[in-house]
Amino acid sequence: MTQARAITLNALSLYAVALVLAAAFAAQLVLHELPCPLCLLQRILFAMLAIGPILNIRFGPRPSHYALSLLTAVAGAVASTRQVLLHIMPGDLGYGSALLGYHYYTWALIGFVAAIVLLAAALLFDRQFEDDSAALPPTGGLFAQAAVWLVIGLTSLNAVSTLVECGFGACADNPVVYELLKRFS
Amino acid sequence: MEFTLLFLAASLVMLVAWRGSRGLALGLYGAVMVACVATYLHHATDTLKLSF
Repeated sequence: MTQARAITLNALSLYAVALVLAAAFAAQLVLHELPCPLCLLQRILFAMLAIGPILNIRFGPRPSHYALSLLTAVAGAVASTRQVLLHIMPGDLGYGSALLGYHYYTWALIGFVAAIVLLAAALLFDRQFEDDSAALPPTGGLFAQAAVWLVIGLTSLNAVSTLVECGFGACADNPVVYELLKRFS
Repeated sequence: MEFTLLFLAASLVMLVAWRGSRGLALGLYGAVMVACVATYLHHATDTLKLSF
């Protein structure tokens, strides 16, 4: 895999992260299901997955950049596994609604494990780490730049949404109202 | 509030990774990851009702 192809793949991974963040947002707004603290932490860790690809696009692919995403994916898998285990007992209906039979935290666990596997697979291709920057447009071209700004925008929107949901205090364990809207209504 | 700050911090790390220096981005990433782990440990207090 050449460096240029690796950067295209990194841009695609940013679009995948953006899709996850947008889907979580859509579920929150359309189904009026507010994310719990552990759900918010999983969203943050999905967003943090994007830092490795952004560094790869900006500075060229390096194993250390993939390592950042691997560490984040492991942390995300731990957080989502804990939430799966919290609701694993028979009779427990779980938190929130299910999508295609699985709750969002189960999908999150599947997503983080898939990220670990894909990142390990990407590290198998050594040619991407050879410098061919002469053949590479600076900052990866428009496709990659749009992906970077999309992920940054969605993460910033999540910051605003979380502020509206939790207000200036601690987030409720089982949130049902937007605290900031309640305060000003 | 801590989650709002973590989202903001994650956005900041992305901006630094995209526009700033690589070293600063790596350092900020480490700080945010430590904050994420601390937040996880703070909230993971419920006993898991598991039996084996």
